[in-house]
Amino acid sequence: MLSRQTSQRIAFIVISLSALIVVAPILFIVGYIVVQGVGAISWEFLTGFPYNGMKSGGVWPAIVGTLWLTLGTAVVAVPVGVGAAIYLSEYAGDNQLTRAIRIAIINLAGIPSVVYGLFGLGLFVIFLNFGTSILAGSLTLGIMTLPVIISTAEEALRAVPQSFRLVSVSLGGTRWETIRRVVLPQALPGIITGIILGLERAAGETAPILFTVAAFFLPRLPHSIFDQTMALPYHLFVISTQVPGMPVRIQYGTALVLMFFVLSMNVLATLIRRHYRRQRVW
Amino acid sequence: MDIKIRIEDFSLHYSDGKESLRHITLDIYANQINVLFGPSGGGKSSLLRALNRLNDLTDVAVQEGRILLDGEDIAAPGYDVIRLRRRVGIVFARPVPLPMSIYRNVTYGLELAGIKDRAQWDAAVERSLKQAALWEEVSDRLDESGYALSGGQQQRLCLARALALQPEVVLLDEPTSGLDPISTSKIERTLQELKSEYTFVAVPHSVQQAARIADWATFFLQGELIEHGDGKTIFTTPQNSQTNEYITGRFG
Ligand SMILES: Nc1ncnc2c1ncn2[C@@H]1O[C@H](COP(=O)(O)OP(=O)(O)O)[C@@H](O)[C@H]1O
Ligand SMILES: [Mg+2]
Repeated sequence: MLSRQTSQRIAFIVISLSALIVVAPILFIVGYIVVQGVGAISWEFLTGFPYNGMKSGGVWPAIVGTLWLTLGTAVVAVPVGVGAAIYLSEYAGDNQLTRAIRIAIINLAGIPSVVYGLFGLGLFVIFLNFGTSILAGSLTLGIMTLPVIISTAEEALRAVPQSFRLVSVSLGGTRWETIRRVVLPQALPGIITGIILGLERAAGETAPILFTVAAFFLPRLPHSIFDQTMALPYHLFVISTQVPGMPVRIQYGTALVLMFFVLSMNVLATLIRRHYRRQRVW
Repeated sequence: MDIKIRIEDFSLHYSDGKESLRHITLDIYANQINVLFGPSGGGKSSLLRALNRLNDLTDVAVQEGRILLDGEDIAAPGYDVIRLRRRVGIVFARPVPLPMSIYRNVTYGLELAGIKDRAQWDAAVERSLKQAALWEEVSDRLDESGYALSGGQQQRLCLARALALQPEVVLLDEPTSGLDPISTSKIERTLQELKSEYTFVAVPHSVQQAARIADWATFFLQGELIEHGDGKTIFTTPQNSQTNEYITGRFG
């Protein structure tokens, strides 16, 4: 038999090791990309167009494209997602229909992103005739992002104590007034966090934009939502696999820009959550 | 004695099939403290919630009978419940300030009622906080969160919030159950002072409190009205043996 102290020490070491195993690859990946890519970062790289068969120049059109697509995704997914969450949490009872909706949401979240890409191609690009465009890409990414936004927003709404709703209604509030004045403001931090996390995932996806919006190379920025655009994840894919003789520095520089974009959204979400957790009274 | 609310043959089932109120017929008197008491599970809260239709939010399956507020059947389907809830306010057992300032807690109901005039708000805040015996403690910090207050103050804030709408009836569901004796007596005194302006329907958290505050008292047992009468009679010489057992503490 091990003494209690020895077994305690062994447990501590094992647990610490598993934590390390989780953290180490993340640190390694981030560190590796930074080390390999930081040399490529320059003003010209961030604000210039690629040239010389993309072996020189910068990633500006891809940055702009990813910003457009992120915004477009938000425009599509936020109203629908938050609306659906409000419906599920505040209006719908627990019945067959809502259970079916919840199962659908869970399954939507499990669909591989390339399938969303094909779906977007079929529905938006071809059937609705939007062509390969920011519109088609945003709709595709938006639909892909819906499950994340719906489930986090619903969770945030449900976390608001039922007693607040009862009080508001007892003071002559309608259901909607109660939602707008009490429930939504309290759930907002959680909802925003969910939105940012959903958008973050959308911003980094390649497969859904592959057939719906992304351009291999464009010598100009998009002018409207009916234009194609370059985008960071697809650009990274292109310069890593489609262009022979690409300098490794530029590949990792591009990865670094994409990672920075996505991580800063993540940090923003964390900060918002922390800020409001501290202010919360319940 | 003027009758403010007349409850006629009122029954209520929750959707799990349980009959929580059985054929209740009861008069609530105007400008009096009307007390409902009895062991928990007796249906007191269910009846209170029926008086301002908060049961609409719970899973009540069937509701029968009539509840006449100044002669109007408020239990009727299609009755304007928003207007009703402005006339019949409620204070719950646990104080629940809304997550906003003390001031906005009091004006919340007024805002919903479409009153936007700042001067009217100021007046209502001062009046109702004074009525709830809280004004002196909070008048210089109305912008602080309602949660900055102690439990007893929070509950008086909740009372003030209900009073701000100048309701005709105020329902109180064990309003002092979590409070210290000083806060409790403040609230009890407040009710005595205000009953000339309001009709109170109160569920006290103890027999002692029931006996202290009741002008009229009704004993409920497992969904049935056992005995109803003026407070003094009920708590000194009850007619029913079950009532007697309950108030003398011999009740199982
Ligand atoms: N929302 C509800 N859903 C189902 N049953 C309920 C609900 N509220 C109360 N009940 C039941 O109704 C009965 C009366 O409860 P209640 O009105 O809370 O009594 P009291 O306030 O006298 O304790 C109890 O048996 C309780 O379990
Ligand atoms: Mg109760």
